Amino acid sequence: MINLFQFIPEIFILSLILITLCFGLFNKDRAISLNTLGFILLSILLLNYGKDFYSSTQITLNTINLFVLSKIILSIGSILFILLLKRPLKNENLYRYEYVLFLLFAILGSFVLISSNNFLTAFIGLELQSLSLYLMAAFNTKNLSSNEAGIKYFSLGALSSGFLLFGISMIYYDTGSFNIQNLDNFTAISEIGLSLVLISLFFKVSAAPFHIWTPDVYEGSPTISTLFFATLPKFASLIFLFRVYQELNISDIKSLNYIFQMVCAISLLVGVYGAITQKVIKRLLAFSSINHIGFMLLGIMSYQFMSEGTLFFYLIIYLITTFGIFAVLLNLRTVDGEFTKISQLKGLRFTSNSKSISMLVFFFSLAGIPPFAGFFAKFFILSASINDGFILLSIIAVLSSVIAAFYYLTIIKNMFFNKSEIELLDDNNKTGKVMFISSGIIITLFFIYPDPLINLVDNLFK
Amino acid sequence: MSFPILSMLILTPIIGALTLSISSSTQLKNKTIFLSGLWITTGEFLLSLLLPIFYDKSKNGYQFIEFHTWFDKFDINYYVGVDGVSIPLILLTTFLVPICLLCSINSIQNRAKEFVIYFLLLESFIIGVFVSIDIVIFYVFFEAVLIPMFLIIGIWGGENRLYATFKFFLYTLAGSVLMLLAIIYIISKVKSGNIELISDFTFDQQIELVLFLCFFASFAVKVPMFPFHTWLPDAHVQAPTSGSVILAGVLLKLGAYGFIRLSLPFFEYASIYFQPMIFALSCVAIVYTSIVALRQLDMKKMIAYSSVAHMGFVTIGIFTLTQDGINGAYFQMISHGIVSAALFLIVGVVYERHHTRMISDYSGVTNVMPKYSFFFMVFMLSSVGLPGTSGFVGEFLVIMSTISVSVYLTFFTAIGVILGASYMLLLYKNINFGDLKSDIKQLADLTNIEIFYFSCLAFLTMLLGIYPKLLFEMINKSISLSII
Repeated sequence: MINLFQFIPEIFILSLILITLCFGLFNKDRAISLNTLGFILLSILLLNYGKDFYSSTQITLNTINLFVLSKIILSIGSILFILLLKRPLKNENLYRYEYVLFLLFAILGSFVLISSNNFLTAFIGLELQSLSLYLMAAFNTKNLSSNEAGIKYFSLGALSSGFLLFGISMIYYDTGSFNIQNLDNFTAISEIGLSLVLISLFFKVSAAPFHIWTPDVYEGSPTISTLFFATLPKFASLIFLFRVYQELNISDIKSLNYIFQMVCAISLLVGVYGAITQKVIKRLLAFSSINHIGFMLLGIMSYQFMSEGTLFFYLIIYLITTFGIFAVLLNLRTVDGEFTKISQLKGLRFTSNSKSISMLVFFFSLAGIPPFAGFFAKFFILSASINDGFILLSIIAVLSSVIAAFYYLTIIKNMFFNKSEIELLDDNNKTGKVMFISSGIIITLFFIYPDPLINLVDNLFK
Repeated sequence: MSFPILSMLILTPIIGALTLSISSSTQLKNKTIFLSGLWITTGEFLLSLLLPIFYDKSKNGYQFIEFHTWFDKFDINYYVGVDGVSIPLILLTTFLVPICLLCSINSIQNRAKEFVIYFLLLESFIIGVFVSIDIVIFYVFFEAVLIPMFLIIGIWGGENRLYATFKFFLYTLAGSVLMLLAIIYIISKVKSGNIELISDFTFDQQIELVLFLCFFASFAVKVPMFPFHTWLPDAHVQAPTSGSVILAGVLLKLGAYGFIRLSLPFFEYASIYFQPMIFALSCVAIVYTSIVALRQLDMKKMIAYSSVAHMGFVTIGIFTLTQDGINGAYFQMISHGIVSAALFLIVGVVYERHHTRMISDYSGVTNVMPKYSFFFMVFMLSSVGLPGTSGFVGEFLVIMSTISVSVYLTFFTAIGVILGASYMLLLYKNINFGDLKSDIKQLADLTNIEIFYFSCLAFLTMLLGIYPKLLFEMINKSISLSII
């Protein structure tokens, strides 16, 4: 008898999908706002009873906490995303309720992925997530580059899924089990299989050298979809990667650990070198996200220092910052369409106080300069990694963040020092405005008073 | 004392900046904004005057201590306090910031509100560096200083400001991140960020050398020492007058302060080990940059190079590791803070009137601006190190203390003094004497505001030159504790 109790979050989302499917036919506005309510309910449910869902299973308490915390973050992220998506979609004439359906499927996939203890379930979750993402990338069907992004994403993603399946089958051949926990006696075959699985996961989180799709897909997709790619699914895949690392004790397997370190170093460097010459802001953000993935991988490798705390601190700050940046970008439009180039930011200081100052906060925070929370995020990751003896990687990480500071400064330069050349239109999206201003304030406040965040992470991991 | 005076010092400018930023910018006139900024910073100055009054010179250790837990888990605390080494620098900061605002009332016309806000933030961050006795908040403030300075140079700077401000920011950041790694390593070893506890801890010798170099990278860029000094002339030339003043007056001292406060007590073995390297670099800095300064065509660049030379005295003095040497170095820091700030203001005065900084564009200024030439002379002589001005005491002590180390060192530092005199006198001669050029005939002499702040600065130089005990009384005890 399967205990359905532990699937409540997933079932909840599934029923939301069904309701939206039926209801959206008649009134898409209502269907979408219903989802907001649904996710608020889900977050409250998870906050209060999250741990009880899994109490009847044999999962360790730490892992349960990981599930609950990441699911809470995902549902809160979805609330923000659903609140934000209306205006940008309307601007592109794309306001259809199917978009929310894709979002729901992606979140469902992420939920399944996070809490799967079995490679096959993980594969299903990952596929469910990715297929929705391909559709979201190509959602602007009349736009050539959006289609291109979708196709690119799909074909490369399918390739990586192939890798994943192949890896899983090799592991199965070797151990006779799909379970993630029971891989004690490793042979070369399951090592190769596991490395293929890792490659696929690195592809999903866009770690270099498996990052080639990222800039193109980021650039081509509608900006609102890019926001989604950059945050929630990536977060879920990263959590799963973290679980694989932790449960399979990859730190003990020399070859895989080596791969991990190499990927981390390459991501840190490719991210910054790729970003320097970019002229399109979404491409720049794509490369900068690769650099940040490097930091997160460093956090995954040195998780023993403060359990999951360092990683989660970094992830949460990164998510808030990314949400803020995209909320600003979504609020800006040029006269002839979507805002794309960094040079179009010129003179933003003169047209909008709130946007330029929030952007200043976000980019200095991403660069890890105090007094913003990004500094402590990097500080914790670095202290964890130095404590665990990854000195060389830490040096690479800080040097890469100096180079990263250069292109963040370039953006700030455009906003603050240059006179505007083209007219930027303010979209006057109230929710977006509230979102980026509050993200900016949160980023500053978490620096001065980080206790709420630390306590949240702490309580869940004790 | 239960009154949290140090937190007040840090918070007052921030609160002022927040209030200013909330007020609507379109209704306020530039003058009102500057006046409110002046009120805030003058209040801050008066507040900081409480420090030397209530500071107990007979006691060891830090005073006015405040302690709040920040990150329980990582042992990072908001832990501030002052001793004799930090108080004069805090006073220097709070004294210079109102002057910076005063001198820019006329020259900063656009975006005045932002300007005042950035200056207020800058002030509180700088004070934060001087009061922190936890290594992490030291780093936090040390880094945070970059942001307002980056914006000040970038927005109100000269033609090539982008290059200068990027160079400034990236150079300093590249140095600082190495220090960040060293700090993290130290915390992982000592399990605390408290400066006093770290001073008591002895590291493995090889590791200590590496850690010292990491700190050195950061402070040497800030000071700036010889191979890392190239950002300074660019930043100075492009910065607005007020930016140069605060840069030369206070920001350069952050590096030297870091050497005294952190490097010496933390790494005793490494400080002795690297002594020759630092002497060599400082000697090169003194002689080389003095010669470079001799050939400069741009006034600001010349004074910028002279700053590098003067800070060379400071690093030599600090690393003689004797009481006299560090005392002299510290005195030189304060004196250079006042004098170079004044010299940049002097350049700013003529630049504002004539819009050129080239030395060749001026000649015979003394005919039209007698008061200006007078103040110029006072500060020029102080920079040269004439007895009776503050410049003399510091240089004298440093040179004297070098004798105990090596006579060659004394020789090179003394050459620096001569070269310093030659380029400063040359600058003064070229600008003030000679035939009156026709296009500067209509230059107006100093206004009352300018006379006011120049006389404040001149008074301080004379006071410290004639009665140096005022400063030594304050710092003697604290410095004797940081010597090995």
